[in-house]
Amino acid sequence: MLFNSIDFALFLPIVFILYWFVFNRNIKLQNLLIVIASYVFYGSWDWRFLLLILFSTFVDYLVGIALEKEETLKKRRLLLWISIFVNLGFLGFFKYYNFFLDNFTNVFSFFGHKIDASSLSIILPVGISFYTFQTLSYTIDVYRKKMKPTKDFVAFAAFVSFFPQLVAGPIERATNLLPQFVKKREFDYNKACDGLRQILWGLFKKIVIADNCAKYANIIFNNSEVYSGSTLVLGSLFFAFQIYGDYSGYSDIAIGTSRLFGFNLQKNFAFPYFSRNIGEFWRRWHISLSTWFRDYLYIPLGGSKVGKVRVVRNIFVIFIVSGFWHGANWNFIIWGALNALYFLPLLFRSKNRKYMDVVAINSNLPSFKELIQMAMTFGFTLVAWIFFRSDTVSQAIQILSEIFSMSLFGMPSFKKPIIIWVLIFMFIEWVGRDSEYAIEKLGKNWHESLRWGFYYIIVISIFLMGSEGEEFIYFQF
Amino acid sequence: MKKFTRQVILFLFPMVLLAYPLDLIVSNLLKKNGSFAHGELSVWNALYDGTIDSEIVIYGSSRALVHIDPEIIETSTGRKAYNLGIDGHNFWLQHLRHTILMKHNKKPKTIILSVDVRSFIKQKELYNSDQFLPYIFFNKEIKYYTESYKGFTVYDYHLPFIRYFGRFQAIKAALLKNSYLKRRNGYEGQDKVWNDDFKKAKANANSIEIELDKELLVLFDGFLLDCKRDDIRVVLVYTPEYIEGQKFMGKRNEIVSLIDSFALKHNVVYLDYSKDDICLEKKYFYNASHLNKLGAEKFTKMLSKDLVLLGN
Repeated sequence: MLFNSIDFALFLPIVFILYWFVFNRNIKLQNLLIVIASYVFYGSWDWRFLLLILFSTFVDYLVGIALEKEETLKKRRLLLWISIFVNLGFLGFFKYYNFFLDNFTNVFSFFGHKIDASSLSIILPVGISFYTFQTLSYTIDVYRKKMKPTKDFVAFAAFVSFFPQLVAGPIERATNLLPQFVKKREFDYNKACDGLRQILWGLFKKIVIADNCAKYANIIFNNSEVYSGSTLVLGSLFFAFQIYGDYSGYSDIAIGTSRLFGFNLQKNFAFPYFSRNIGEFWRRWHISLSTWFRDYLYIPLGGSKVGKVRVVRNIFVIFIVSGFWHGANWNFIIWGALNALYFLPLLFRSKNRKYMDVVAINSNLPSFKELIQMAMTFGFTLVAWIFFRSDTVSQAIQILSEIFSMSLFGMPSFKKPIIIWVLIFMFIEWVGRDSEYAIEKLGKNWHESLRWGFYYIIVISIFLMGSEGEEFIYFQF
Repeated sequence: MKKFTRQVILFLFPMVLLAYPLDLIVSNLLKKNGSFAHGELSVWNALYDGTIDSEIVIYGSSRALVHIDPEIIETSTGRKAYNLGIDGHNFWLQHLRHTILMKHNKKPKTIILSVDVRSFIKQKELYNSDQFLPYIFFNKEIKYYTESYKGFTVYDYHLPFIRYFGRFQAIKAALLKNSYLKRRNGYEGQDKVWNDDFKKAKANANSIEIELDKELLVLFDGFLLDCKRDDIRVVLVYTPEYIEGQKFMGKRNEIVSLIDSFALKHNVVYLDYSKDDICLEKKYFYNASHLNKLGAEKFTKMLSKDLVLLGN
């Protein structure tokens, strides 16, 4: 069941009505409803996936309780490893088995040893990378005694499977989301309206921007050998807005939906294409994953408080693991490594945390310097996106070599009206760049009829420009 | 909560209220567009308006649509003819057109049914689904024939205007009047010369594999029985195919003998032009399976002559 489907448009109000009108007096029943709704939502892809999530939930619930009772470090460590082994074991098998098998056989055959190993036809369970990391955050935090484990199984199951963010995040921390399941939720009119507004904006990003950019990005990338450098740049731009619109759109819908049910999820995107350097970009792009890696991988490895060689290692580890998290493919690994290369000079010059504020916060337009900085940062990410989107490393190299040739200076062979939509979109994003999401404050002081008119324009553009049932890119990760 | 519910209902109210009138307006305007959906709308209009009024009707896919000119048949036989060929579709949707023809129009005396290797293949995508837009709202026949395809959802058949979601071109076509008719009595000759479609197809694969749909064969069998019962003469025609292209189709011989066996079983005439000399000359084709206008005229004259010999 996709957020951008009529099935979901019917499912959401049914759950909402049951949640606030039927079970509103009992928090346990509300949690149970969330679990059932989440399992229906998740099972609509393939009911077999439910067994996996259920098993993962049981293991981490029991590990959490056992960790609280156990005092000896050795046994506590063993319990933590059980949780890590089960969760990463599932992830490793479903996502990476064939990748490792193929690469091992290639390496052995390179040295003249033929191995007869056939790859398995495995379906990747939707959202496994997301809920695995979410439940791991729970057991790690309980192990670190940052939080007490819950004894309420239904609340825990609701935390693991919470349908708005189950299949593509934001990857919530147990310390943020789990306590919200044990606290009574009161309906808040402003919060609910805000939720609807964020859902609307998320749908616009996904349906109008991402899906339409995807059409042209796919044509250009699928036939990259016939296009000139300038058209390939345009293709990369289309992809940059596709992936941003797609994933940040999903996050907006997820956060907005959660707000309808009285939950607050963490912000996942903060206008990353207005970043002035790569350090700022990574504080604004897929925040829930970046901070997960920072807290559970980078800092345990020593972070930046170790010698230079180890800092370089740590940076490469988190960026490469982040790339590998996206998929079992060398392209993602190179994408990660490239970002590490971008990031390291900033770290060594202590400029990685230079821009913590919003760009041009007190003016309508950026300064010339800020404009150049934003353009350069965007350019760097664009080069990395080429590796991310290409099917193979050699395709990415072919595209880059064409881009850095004289054909870059010709006119691109694509002139599509979607470019105008992207410009309108970026303008609205720029206007709302100091908000949680672009249209959060936009029109708040307008007359109601004018504001509603603006929302109707968004609805109409979604209706006209959309195509139902286009999957979200991040479902495959 | 009350305020929230009221506001949501108020916001949605105009959309719900306008959905049905908008559906009606857009669908009616769209029907008047003669070239939208590759001109298929004009044929659906004629079918639903009951204006076909022909003794000879031509069924089939694009190979009927661009190969058989009804005006030439009319001139030779002296009987009115109409081409109901539907681009990109197998016998399943050809049968839908037959069903609507029988329901809303005068019963034909002769059906020329163009058959080929693709007539009974399994199809999942609803090609050119735009052509159904003005007609599918609460239309049982179209729902029955199209719901198994990947094209429309259950909501599209039953909720007003929902099916226009993401179909900006359809709404634009409805609003911008275009009375230019692509089809003439359903026929659309192609003023084209040989292109490199075949070369590209050959570069991509050694042959095209065909998977037969057994359900479709049952439907075809039933159709031939129905026609016999209704006293409609069916003439099965294998229209010309470029000779090199014939070698490219997997299971071709098997399917040709299957068509032969149907003709024998139901005692219907089967005219196979795929071995005719026309198939040797590229100048009559624009790709391996489609004749251009020049080829279509030459072929329709041959067919008309044979029909006259058969006694119309």
